[in-house]
Amino acid sequence: LVLNWATVYQAIFTNCTVKLITPMASGPAEPPRNKVTVVGVGMVGMACAVSILLRDLADELALVDVMEDKLKGEMMDLQHGSLFLKTSKIVADKDYAVTANSRIVVVTAGVRQQEGESRLNLVQRNVNIFKHIIPQIVKHSPNCTLIVVSNPVDVLTYVTWKLSGLPKHRVIGSGTNLDSARFRFLMAERLGIHATSFNGWVLGEHGDTSVPVWSGVSVAGVNLQKLNPEFGLDGDKEDWKATHKEVVDSAYEVIKLKGYTNWAIGLSVADLTESIIKNMSRIHPVSTMVKDMYGIGEEVFLSLPCVLNSNGVGSVINMTLTDAEVGQLKKSADTLWGIQKDLKDV
Amino acid sequence: MTTKEKLITHVLAGEPVGSRSKVTVVGVGMVGMASAVSVLLKDLCDELCLIDVMEDKLKGEVMDLQHGSLFCKTHKIVGDKDYSTTAHSKVVVVTAGARQQEGESRLNLVQRNVNIFKFIIPQIVKYSPNAILLVVSNPVDILTYVAWKLSGFPRHRVIGSGTNLDSGRFRHLMGEKLHLHPSSCHGWIIGEHGDSSVPVWSGVNVAGVSLKGLNPDMGTDADKEDWKHVHKMVVNGAYEVIKLKGYTSWAIGLSVADLVESILKNLHKVHPVSTLVKVRRPYARSPSAKMGQMQCCVLYHCLWL
Repeated sequence: LVLNWATVYQAIFTNCTVKLITPMASGPAEPPRNKVTVVGVGMVGMACAVSILLRDLADELALVDVMEDKLKGEMMDLQHGSLFLKTSKIVADKDYAVTANSRIVVVTAGVRQQEGESRLNLVQRNVNIFKHIIPQIVKHSPNCTLIVVSNPVDVLTYVTWKLSGLPKHRVIGSGTNLDSARFRFLMAERLGIHATSFNGWVLGEHGDTSVPVWSGVSVAGVNLQKLNPEFGLDGDKEDWKATHKEVVDSAYEVIKLKGYTNWAIGLSVADLTESIIKNMSRIHPVSTMVKDMYGIGEEVFLSLPCVLNSNGVGSVINMTLTDAEVGQLKKSADTLWGIQKDLKDV
Repeated sequence: MTTKEKLITHVLAGEPVGSRSKVTVVGVGMVGMASAVSVLLKDLCDELCLIDVMEDKLKGEVMDLQHGSLFCKTHKIVGDKDYSTTAHSKVVVVTAGARQQEGESRLNLVQRNVNIFKFIIPQIVKYSPNAILLVVSNPVDILTYVAWKLSGFPRHRVIGSGTNLDSGRFRHLMGEKLHLHPSSCHGWIIGEHGDSSVPVWSGVNVAGVSLKGLNPDMGTDADKEDWKHVHKMVVNGAYEVIKLKGYTSWAIGLSVADLVESILKNLHKVHPVSTLVKVRRPYARSPSAKMGQMQCCVLYHCLWL
């Protein structure tokens, strides 16, 4: 049926094209300059894809997945909206050749935790999937920057880095970019201002043990901990610490209510993509290789404020952290290495 | 003094003036959320409201969008089962409704949706008496008529999303083979949204060059190039996507945002949307009113034909 339509297509348009259009440029089509690939067309993958499309970031978007029907359906649905978009080429295939020449590849593929499953087991299952995905991505886009979103993101970013053979500045984990966004939103709500006017960083391991850097929280340059010395501590009458707990719990809450989260992570990935594609050198808290920082001796990925540009992670800001905060980072590093060292085939 | 009091000195006592461009989306299914996200990412409203009967799903969706606030310019995102949350909306997008069951007649589906609309529409009207209603739920032309009747709104404030998407699909297909962007390919599909939509062949053009002028058989059965098949592909496009992924969402969401933009920004753009077409049949005893697609000039306040 598809072949039939393709033949009809050719017949319809050849005649019209000849009469209507006089070609100027000859030769093969120009390769894309800002191609983005999204691996995995589940809820998160599609939210990333739509956010990137609506922000006009890419001149070509490629989707990859193993579920062929779903993949084709999603591609068609996006293509049908192309009148309203500025991304002229939207492609999809099971075969990774479709991803060739990508500047950025967003990896959302992977399995979800089963009930009662250990983290190590989940990670090993995802390693087996990534073993198939990552080498193919790199084969077709050797100069890309990889953004890993699949969870547990810090471990899987390490896995991706190992499997890809790419230099460490080209492999990023979405990390605490979303945690920080949630933090800034919830804190800003309490103060009645917009999230962008509230400056605060949540770093370290994405998830339950993320580290809110209370000493760095400010509005219009006014350091909140200087206004309130108890800020973020246990004794704080205003209990600002509870807001960080809300950040940690919010992902679980949304999952409990609607089954998954996708819009917020999609928007945050588009934000990272923008900085990289437009070579902006904006600072984002993303997961990067932190060996030899803060006394961490192992090859682990944790979120720190990273300057993102066309290189990927151009540089990392040396955060001033309290001893307690450094201690938390070190503890996370140990936990992560505890999982990573037992992984097979990485 | 609390930290907030130390940090901030209020200039204006009390909350600022209410929202000026509030959009409500009724129904947080795939289509509703795609519409909501498209509206959000196009920075169209200063307040977005979501409504549904499924309270958990609704709350989860509202939270998920709120968590992305850092990246958006819509400060207020709210949602509730109670329609009072929708008050003072400028545009209300209705995506709620039942889907066709296997083997169900269209009439039965419509009746089920009428029963749902009988609950929804009066509540919308109660809290946003000056809103513009944009109906997306299918069968859209009939349900737009139902919404118009139930709302008591003047005809210019009730629109069906109609063939805005069909035309979008048509222009996409045109663009694919002419190697042009769809926005440079002009073609209008009007009439009933769905199987019996009407492609206006005489209007299909690129840069003002009429394609029917180049190919007079275009759209007829005699056409060697079988343009009619392109229209068939538009009609089948939706069914194909539904077969592959279970539903369509992104394209309709984008087309809804396109319409909302024209309304909120008073753009005077021309869109193919479902509006009241009262037809006086020469041999009938009385005029019959029905909803059909016409080219409409979509304005802030009213619809021109």
